[in-house]
Amino acid sequence: MIESADHKMSKFRSIGTQIRRSFIITKKDLRIYYNKPPVLIQGILFPFILFIALTIGRNIQSIYLISGMMAMILFLTSTSLGPIVFPWEAMRKTLERLITCPISIKTILLGSMWSSLIYGVLFSSIPLILGAIFSVIPLNINLLLIVGGMIVAGLAFSCFSLILSVPSSSTPGSTMILTILIKFPLVFMTPLFMPIVLTPIAYVSPLTYFIDIINVSFGDLSVFGMFGLLIDFGVLILFGLGFLFLSFFLHEKTLEKRFQG
Amino acid sequence: MVAIIVKNLSKSFEVSRKAKMHSKSKSHGENLGKEFKAVDDISFEVEKGEIFGFLGPNGAGKTTTIRMLTGVLKPTNGSITIFGKDSRTHSLHIKQLIGNVPEEASVYADLSGWNNLLLIGELYGLSKEERKNRAEYLLKEFELFEKKNIKAKTYSKGMKQRLLLSMALMSNPEILFLDEPTSGLDVQSARIIKEIILEYNKKGTTIFLTTHDMDIANELCHRIAIINKGKIISLDTPENFKALVQEYQAIDLTVEHGLLKNEIEILNYIKEVQEVNGGYHIIVDDIHNSICEIIDYIRTNNLKIKKLITYQPKLEEAFLKIIERGGSK
Repeated sequence: MIESADHKMSKFRSIGTQIRRSFIITKKDLRIYYNKPPVLIQGILFPFILFIALTIGRNIQSIYLISGMMAMILFLTSTSLGPIVFPWEAMRKTLERLITCPISIKTILLGSMWSSLIYGVLFSSIPLILGAIFSVIPLNINLLLIVGGMIVAGLAFSCFSLILSVPSSSTPGSTMILTILIKFPLVFMTPLFMPIVLTPIAYVSPLTYFIDIINVSFGDLSVFGMFGLLIDFGVLILFGLGFLFLSFFLHEKTLEKRFQG
Repeated sequence: MVAIIVKNLSKSFEVSRKAKMHSKSKSHGENLGKEFKAVDDISFEVEKGEIFGFLGPNGAGKTTTIRMLTGVLKPTNGSITIFGKDSRTHSLHIKQLIGNVPEEASVYADLSGWNNLLLIGELYGLSKEERKNRAEYLLKEFELFEKKNIKAKTYSKGMKQRLLLSMALMSNPEILFLDEPTSGLDVQSARIIKEIILEYNKKGTTIFLTTHDMDIANELCHRIAIINKGKIISLDTPENFKALVQEYQAIDLTVEHGLLKNEIEILNYIKEVQEVNGGYHIIVDDIHNSICEIIDYIRTNNLKIKKLITYQPKLEEAFLKIIERGGSK
């Protein structure tokens, strides 16, 4: 009995150590990869271009403009770093050194997820801050709800980006093409810069639930009714956990392919 | 105490379409979709404090073995026990005990040498104070301290390799795995790395080393395993390996005014005499006795030696012989 309790304690300590070490990976990723071309292109340039393409010539209500911008930036920035870390490390031949450190593949993925989250949350705050400065958002916004939504949605998107880095390519360019092919249809099937219309396709996009949270925090009604926020957060958490565990499974299966030969 | 126990270890890879396209070898194409055994049922033990050499031709399975030992690849069959812990159930514990310099690895080019070391120190759970002290000590030891704040992308190949080795030593590991640590390096870097391997081994660090450099293997290793086509074909000390090629003992001799080939050939310990550039290349049975005989002969005949060079059997010759015949025992 005592032995079993000791075993459990040491397992908890080990999990705690791995989570702490995942933050070291986060620090490294942010330091090394934040200024890499794929990250800058997908995280900053694409949202800007898409914003112009989707809003020009349209009469858009200010709260939908801000929620749409936030959703698009959060999604594109928090999915820009994750897919390139593994191919980049493989290409630069630093991956083997990293995985022989006392960390698991899950730790590396968690670290990558935190860095994507931080990157996404920082950049998606920009439209909110600009909206506040230029008084285009209501005064009675629910900031706690916005921050909570950004974190939960950012985590779901970051976990999604981990799946995009599964193919065992060692060229960030080819991973980038794949991510564009998957990410952009998702953006286009989301009701951005307008009141949410629940088409079947909108249910599939995790962005829909984040936009709903932001709209509610701006004083709008949830499109999912009375338990709208519960649904929004619940679905985003389910998406996040699903993506995270799927990425753990897939990366553990494909990691060896990066070292064959 | 045994540091590493490897039992019936095997690793198979599926021969992919990509490998077939890139391979000139017929066997890859024929075996498409089948499994290719990179390591085939190998077993050995490494004692604590030993420098264990792992030699073999390209593609023999050295790197695959080291990758299984360091937890990069999972064995298809067999077991690895490091300091009594099974690698399948205690991989993180084992990783904490080891340092590794992979063959084709690189440092983080966008970080300085200093920050590369601090990163590894943090990942091994060293305290802030320990990290700083250890990084400073290692950078000085590897003659990199003056460039500690410069990004590693500006370092030469030798400097990067020294930094990689210092990263592997950051946690003061019990076992150090080195995959071709001096391959393609300048003389100075190779010398520093060699000295440090010896220094850490004296302190008790177990070293597992793969190399193509026979001089390094001969100089450093206590025991050597030779692997070919995924199987260990021989395991012994460098001295015993060299004893297998005693026929490589020879003397180069040039004498003023010359001497006749048939006069040397009749001496007791001489096996064969070849005329080379006005002198003789003499293959002998026993270096000591044959030199004594030759000197006696030269004194008796009042001749004068212009050149006398002896050749001892080399590990390289033993290695080639073993590979050719597919095993020593």
